[in-house]
Amino acid sequence: MPAQVSIDVRGLTKRYGRLLAVDHISFQVYRGEVFSLLGPNGAGKTTTVSMLSTLRMPTEGDALVEGYSIVRDRTAVRRIIGVVPQDLTADDELTGFDNVLLMARLHGYRGKEAEERAKEAIRFMELEDAANRRVMYYSGGMRRRLEIAMSVVHDPQVVFLDEPTVGLDVQSRRHIWDLIRRLKKVGVTVVLTTHYMEEADELSDRVAIMDHGHIVALGSPDELKSRIKGDRIYLKLGSPDEVRRALEAISVEFKDVSEVDGQLVVKVPSSADAMPQLIKLLSSFDVRELRVVRPNLEEVFLELTGHGLRDEESFDTFKFRRLMGAMRS
Amino acid sequence: MIYEVWVLTWRELKKWWGRRGVFIVSLVTPLAWLGLFGKSINFTKIFSPSTFALSLPPQLQPYAPYIQKVMENASQTALVKLFGTTDYFSFLTTGMLVVFAFFQSAFGGVNIVFEKRLGSMNRLRMTPAPRFSIFLAKIVGTLIRIFFYETVLLVIALALGFKPDVTLLGFILSGVAIALLAIGFISLFEGIGFNVDNQEIMFSILNLINLPLMFASPVLFPLKQMPDWLQEVAKFNPLTYTADIVRYNMLGLHTVNYVEAWAILVGISAVLTIIGAWASLRVLENY
Ligand SMILES: Nc1ncnc2c1ncn2[C@@H]1O[C@H](COP(=O)(O)OP(=O)(O)O)[C@@H](O)[C@H]1O
Ligand SMILES: [Mg+2]
Repeated sequence: MPAQVSIDVRGLTKRYGRLLAVDHISFQVYRGEVFSLLGPNGAGKTTTVSMLSTLRMPTEGDALVEGYSIVRDRTAVRRIIGVVPQDLTADDELTGFDNVLLMARLHGYRGKEAEERAKEAIRFMELEDAANRRVMYYSGGMRRRLEIAMSVVHDPQVVFLDEPTVGLDVQSRRHIWDLIRRLKKVGVTVVLTTHYMEEADELSDRVAIMDHGHIVALGSPDELKSRIKGDRIYLKLGSPDEVRRALEAISVEFKDVSEVDGQLVVKVPSSADAMPQLIKLLSSFDVRELRVVRPNLEEVFLELTGHGLRDEESFDTFKFRRLMGAMRS
Repeated sequence: MIYEVWVLTWRELKKWWGRRGVFIVSLVTPLAWLGLFGKSINFTKIFSPSTFALSLPPQLQPYAPYIQKVMENASQTALVKLFGTTDYFSFLTTGMLVVFAFFQSAFGGVNIVFEKRLGSMNRLRMTPAPRFSIFLAKIVGTLIRIFFYETVLLVIALALGFKPDVTLLGFILSGVAIALLAIGFISLFEGIGFNVDNQEIMFSILNLINLPLMFASPVLFPLKQMPDWLQEVAKFNPLTYTADIVRYNMLGLHTVNYVEAWAILVGISAVLTIIGAWASLRVLENY
């Protein structure tokens, strides 16, 4: 069965004054998949998600979310999406339950039905114990989960999550990951942004790698990783002499072999395909250890853009400005 | 649309009730003003004939009651000439009812600056609720708060000696005039709040608008007491007309033509509301 398109992005563009934050990007998100936008801070992920979720108006281009234009049918889009933005949005003077109830009501549910839905969403996000406490007393992980509860209370068809685990400890992060998998299981299309490559790798069916407002690569995590000339196989041998002889022997069949710190490194397109041949070649050697390192998305990103995923994290002017603003208040 | 406005107003009021101390703090200001201006500056006491009589030289003492009578008349005439009434406290209370509603109407706009910053405004913008309902709910919510405080203020003023001479209709009309003034300014401040990102700038703008408008109006002192140029400025001030309508209905005083006052108040309020709605919706749809 061919995948059905849930979101169709066409030449989407956003300018902030002279800065081209998102530059004519086009891609499709399939119904029911988890789709990640992976890129460093400032890549334009938040701007893209804000446009798709009708919080910002595109400068140019358009996107159809379940057939509705984010430029022309904004209210229709809002009815069928849920958004978990990067910045927290719950009202901290209200209780968690009241926040979720407010969302249910603003999506048109009334009376008992709205309350039932709010309770259900709170249960789904495992927040029952804190439901009647005011949000100002919530921990970081609880706040995130509340944001998700607020975003799914109306059973959206598409959920956007902008950096949902940033700043969380490992345990809370795993918890959020589980919740995202559960969303996928009930058939929700999930669009996720992140600058953690493990997160994109772990959760996504497909990943779009974003940098400086462009999508530089798109595919399933495995596809993307296979683009950077496959896996590396590390070999430890009995003696330096063996290493030298093995290098010669392997080089006959494999092009990319080198010695690094007394180990042999063989770069192969696919370790599964290469393994039988390699083992045959090594049969007469004293192999102490054989380790396959599958390429990760971080390396893919590095190869494609020439810089790392985190190198802009140390100083993000926009975040810095916002932080200063928050401190002044 | 009506449902959304109701839901969003519920949110406003729930937040308001949840805040500790808001009630007390919001009442301190008007109370202090009523106390300071209204009770301590007791003009009748200043002109008090009885204290004057005691200071008369002995040879004039036989005429004291007569002199006292003359003095009393003179001071009454002076007060009437000054304020149109002998009762400054009542004059001030009516003014306070107007100026208090005016000051409180700024809070809707201040709220918006904070809600934009804290992200809760974004949360509302994600929902399919009509953008206009977000604007409208702020007006309704702020209006409810204002009238709650106005009621408390009125009760306290009555206890302190406010003596209105008012019919039920006059009472309602006074309320309508105050509501019109408040709606106009809540809208205006909402429009400013949506277009300002920083609360310091917001407060500066508020002071820039609030204080001059209060002093260029007859809410605290009669227009006649002011320099000519200020009287001219006051002619463009909706506070002038609101205060006039309230005093006409509650004290039987007025300085402007009553019908004209209504027409001007309705006009200014409508213009402010339209400007505020336009400026708010512009930002609500895309920022
Ligand atoms: N409101 C704004 N005004 C001006 N520039 C902005 C604004 N929001 C984001 N930017 C800039 O646009 C670029 C993309 O930002 P953003 O979409 O937040 O990236 P990401 O979410 O990938 O970190 C950055 O250079 C950022 O500084
Ligand atoms: Mg971001």
